[in-house]
Amino acid sequence: MENKKQAVLSKGILEMKFMKKTKEKVQKEMEDAEGQAMYSSEITNEMRRNGNLVFIETSITSCKNLIDGRLSFGGMNPEIEKMMANDYFRLLEVEEKRKEKDITDIEMAEGYSSLVNTMGKKFTCSKDKQVKQSKAKHRLKKESFY
Amino acid sequence: MANIGEYVYPGDVVKNVKSIKGITIIGPGLRQNEENPNTLCISQAGKLCFREPNTYWIEGKRHRYIPKKGDLVLGVVAKKAGDSLKVDIGSAEFAALPMLAFEGATKKQKPDVQVGDVIYARLLSAHREMEPELICVDSYFKAGRLGVLPNDGFLINISLNLTQRLLDIKDPLLPTLGKKFPYEIVLGVNGRMWLNAKQRKDILTLLRCIEAAEAD
Repeated sequence: MENKKQAVLSKGILEMKFMKKTKEKVQKEMEDAEGQAMYSSEITNEMRRNGNLVFIETSITSCKNLIDGRLSFGGMNPEIEKMMANDYFRLLEVEEKRKEKDITDIEMAEGYSSLVNTMGKKFTCSKDKQVKQSKAKHRLKKESFY
Repeated sequence: MANIGEYVYPGDVVKNVKSIKGITIIGPGLRQNEENPNTLCISQAGKLCFREPNTYWIEGKRHRYIPKKGDLVLGVVAKKAGDSLKVDIGSAEFAALPMLAFEGATKKQKPDVQVGDVIYARLLSAHREMEPELICVDSYFKAGRLGVLPNDGFLINISLNLTQRLLDIKDPLLPTLGKKFPYEIVLGVNGRMWLNAKQRKDILTLLRCIEAAEAD
């Protein structure tokens, strides 16, 4: 509504001394409108060409979360080790906890071999099974005998 | 068309790029594809890697170090030029290190740096057209771990891939060696390593361990 009123103000009124601020405002609005009209076609073309993704280049350090390269072990440089306590050793602890949660290789191998056995049983025909079972029984007997 | 985890070649295109609020972070070996702006073009052969949520990079066998802002590098002072030092960090051009970029340095009290000293510094700026600029203080004007390294260590060139592997927190080599020998190591992402231990024998053993790690 206000904009409409301002647009109606005549040049004569805007030239008056007490209308200085309003005059500046109106001029700025007019310039903005002109600028938009001039660039609107170009902006859309540019945008269409450039796409909407912004790519930020960064170093491999931040990509792979690499640590600070200055390290000291076994009390060689106590100052550095004091600084390391804040970041390096903390990161190491987190990493070790993560490792503990994961299944160890041995567990994985055991689990996988049991799976192979159960799947293998499915494919052995009933005759083989009987033979195997009898063999197993035989072995059991032998063992108990010893 | 390139997929994550595959071996890719220069010219391949990554489609369906993931982003957050229209922002995607790209590491070495990638650039924006000019023909189709929402995709990435590969500029280096290697494995295409991705990390949640929006980071892409290429892991190749590059041997040349290209400076990037924020990298922690090891350099050798090559020249003293007035208020600024020229430092060889293994890039195409020497890096500039102002004398005032050390902790506690003033115009009157300059740090004691000689030609040939080894310096551990952070890259403040790195552009294609300009010489890289180094700094030896953090944003609080404290040196921390940066600065001139002691004279009694050894500087060794290793491959970029090995430095990246050793700087990964998941790599067990450095802490395992640390349980055996007391030693100090500085690894710069520009493929340089500074090493010091208490005995000469220990240094040789450590070096041999790291050489063996380089082989596989």
